[in-house]
Amino acid sequence: MSENQKKILEMLANKKISVDEASQLLSALKAEASAPENTAEVGTTGKPKPKYLRVTIQPSSGHEHDDDADRVNVRVPMSLIRSGIKFTSLLPTEARDKVTEALHDKGIDFDMRNLKPEDIETIIEALNDLEVDVVSSKEVVKVFVE
Amino acid sequence: MKRPPMLMRVQIHGEEGRFPLWLPLFLLLPLALALLIILSPLILIAAVILRARRRQLPPIARASLGMLCSVRCIRTAFDVLCSMPGLRVDVSNRNERIYVYII
Repeated sequence: MSENQKKILEMLANKKISVDEASQLLSALKAEASAPENTAEVGTTGKPKPKYLRVTIQPSSGHEHDDDADRVNVRVPMSLIRSGIKFTSLLPTEARDKVTEALHDKGIDFDMRNLKPEDIETIIEALNDLEVDVVSSKEVVKVFVE
Repeated sequence: MKRPPMLMRVQIHGEEGRFPLWLPLFLLLPLALALLIILSPLILIAAVILRARRRQLPPIARASLGMLCSVRCIRTAFDVLCSMPGLRVDVSNRNERIYVYII
């Protein structure tokens, strides 16, 4: 029983509110508690869970009509990223070591052995705040979630 | 509930013309399942050899480990397949366009 429910029952016991009023208040509390299930999925931070990772590359203004101006628009479902991360757990140890080594050579200090399935949701939720904008003279690259 | 992709829409626009294509992936799923059943002994043997090669285990333990590993691989691969609906890739330039959408 929640704190609010207890308060309502106490008020009813002290005859501060009628049975009808108590019933209405309890119904309102119940509706409030079940509301998040009916709306979009929310994360622990209260923000809605991202559904897609988007990567777009557009030519910057002034280069729209260039022959070599490529446009890229990729939408990756978060569930695919989730499954992909899970897939890494099946990699043999030697392969993981090689990936970690290759990342280290590129200047990325990330150890794939530390990637655990229980961290996936935290990573996905952290992506909620991700927004990368790279503007060069020819292209605009955007990475974001939606 | 997760479901495997049903359709794949592919569009290729080039200087020679347009090439729109709808691929019914749901028709390929029974074929993939049949292929998986036929290849499952080979998958098991490969898993036993590759996964448990370096372990000093009795053959029965290696076989069990290999079977477990191959089941996990198939399950994860199916998970990846089921996560694909919604994937959209659109790459274009002035003359060409490639568009792939999995439904």
